[in-house]
Amino acid sequence: MDENKVIICRCEDVTLKEIRDAIRKGFTTVEEIKRVTRSGMGPCQGKTCGLLIAKEISQMTGKPMEEIELQSIRPPYGGITFEEVTKGTVMENDK
Amino acid sequence: MSKIQNLELLVVGGGPAGLSAALAAANYGIKVSLTEEREFLGGQLIKQTHRFFGSEKEYAGTRGIDILKKLIDEVNKNNNIEVLLSSRVLGIYEDNIVTILNDHKMKKYYPQSIIFATGASEKFLAFENNDLPGIFGAGAVQTLMNVYGVMPATNVLMIGSGNIGLIVCYQLLQAGVKVAAIVEAAPKIGGYSVHASKLRRLGVPILTSHTIKKAIGKEKVEGAVICELDSNWNEVKGTEQLIKCDAICLSVGLTPLVDLLKQRKVKTTYVSELGGYVPLRDENMETSIKNLFVAGDVSGIEEATAAMIEGQIAGLSVAKRIGKNSKDEIEERIEEAKNELELLRSGPVGKKIRKGLSKLGLNHGKNYNEKFSEEALDISHLMKTGVPSEENLKNKLPSEEKVFDKGPIAISECFQRFPCDPCVKSCPFNAISENGNINNIPYVDFEKCTGCGICVSKCPGLAMFVIHKNFSETTSVVIMPYEFLPRPHKGEIVKVFDREGKYLCDGKVIRILDGKFQDKTAAVSIEIPKEYYLQARNFKVEEGNHG
Repeated sequence: MDENKVIICRCEDVTLKEIRDAIRKGFTTVEEIKRVTRSGMGPCQGKTCGLLIAKEISQMTGKPMEEIELQSIRPPYGGITFEEVTKGTVMENDK
Repeated sequence: MSKIQNLELLVVGGGPAGLSAALAAANYGIKVSLTEEREFLGGQLIKQTHRFFGSEKEYAGTRGIDILKKLIDEVNKNNNIEVLLSSRVLGIYEDNIVTILNDHKMKKYYPQSIIFATGASEKFLAFENNDLPGIFGAGAVQTLMNVYGVMPATNVLMIGSGNIGLIVCYQLLQAGVKVAAIVEAAPKIGGYSVHASKLRRLGVPILTSHTIKKAIGKEKVEGAVICELDSNWNEVKGTEQLIKCDAICLSVGLTPLVDLLKQRKVKTTYVSELGGYVPLRDENMETSIKNLFVAGDVSGIEEATAAMIEGQIAGLSVAKRIGKNSKDEIEERIEEAKNELELLRSGPVGKKIRKGLSKLGLNHGKNYNEKFSEEALDISHLMKTGVPSEENLKNKLPSEEKVFDKGPIAISECFQRFPCDPCVKSCPFNAISENGNINNIPYVDFEKCTGCGICVSKCPGLAMFVIHKNFSETTSVVIMPYEFLPRPHKGEIVKVFDREGKYLCDGKVIRILDGKFQDKTAAVSIEIPKEYYLQARNFKVEEGNHG
């Protein structure tokens, strides 16, 4: 299998090769790999790649899946414009 | 500072679990706000054109879309439920304050309780060129076809043989799309055997112990290289083959959509049997954070019927907690719902779910009847190929050939244990029995059966047939369920196929029952040469005959 041709994170175009290289370098949590490769930082926020990366870590380090955590998730869920944030608040202020 | 709106119950997600949760709580006087990210309610139910299994109480025999219509109708009629469409929950914070994007404004809410019914997302698969255009999730294909009426491709290779993969393949065929093959890495089919058998009759190959190695194509998918796997899941050398297709559809499982739960730091743990990272929760669907509940696929991947019951349990639990009245009655209803779930999960198919739940420390199923947790018949061949073995067939046929001489009789080709009973319930002569338990395999009492064919249209698995062996000196008649367009005309000559989709003979259409009662599953009587009465199980209408 050509690891360069296997995409793990579709949003940020991160290949299996890049993920495995990161694990070899010692980045063995999904959170760390997200920070060094940008995997999971795109529009889907790791819904496609998160589980695949966790499995890759498990296979390469021998750590059981139960001990591997997904990346941290913070608000907002999905994209939002600044206008949408302020509209909700400013409108109420005006009242 | 913007104003924060107080709510009694916020339900996140308008799929089967969320709708059921909202209804259960609202029926006991709780004021419910139901938010749905999309512009319409329904979640995945909106795409389910097949009939559901289960018992009558759980809408068995009814198509998913029709169950949805009933639920939406009830929600709309309920004055305690406010529906917020096109409303995405953006965040949930430490004090349980929730922000929702609605009408291009971010608004703040403070609910007393929240039920997360956010469902699941599709798993992805790592193989070469897996980002080529034309590689879809099965759910995406179903959305394109059934929600937007868009044909996704002309010739699809399906990866994964779980129920979603099998059902989407069937729907692709109904839409006129060719299915090149179904590839399954495991040595056996993942979904229900009746779904697999339908596809085999239609000529779709199911390749168990096979996997995809790479997608082929320059600008878009033009094919795929697949190979065989040995018992250790390693590639068997020299088994590579190229399958031509213009789309590859991934149906390799779902995983709970726990993003919002993780925002709030609800405890999650990895349970492979439940699809991935799932929230810890108790039997009443409450998570590690008080007043935060879950229901449906987000709490572990199962199917829509279980999701609806879990929704009821969560909604009732909230009503019991924050409502003022009927606490005893609510408690009773929660127990009833739990018993229903138990029944649903008690067969061999529910084994995986039971194992997953036990890993969460849930003793769901303390009353499971061990008797029903194993298959009654040896269905290994059926689960490997989608085609029943000779022994399986013999088990369901009359023990004596002369029984066929009495006239038309119903033959049930249902061999797997799972909770389902529309055949039993539909028979006006009580000729079909599951011997008192819905998890048993149905058997036809040939003494009582008149061969009326009602069950042919009622079986959700399309596994009931009526055989009239001695229709004439030289011909037999087989009544077959048919869910394709165009419908045949009376008198038309059609091609008749066996259980593997192999052409047997030509047949003549002599009767079509296709009214409201049949509800789009027509019962078509086909006259065939007598020698094929035990093999003929499908037919195709020649396109040219229907302008």
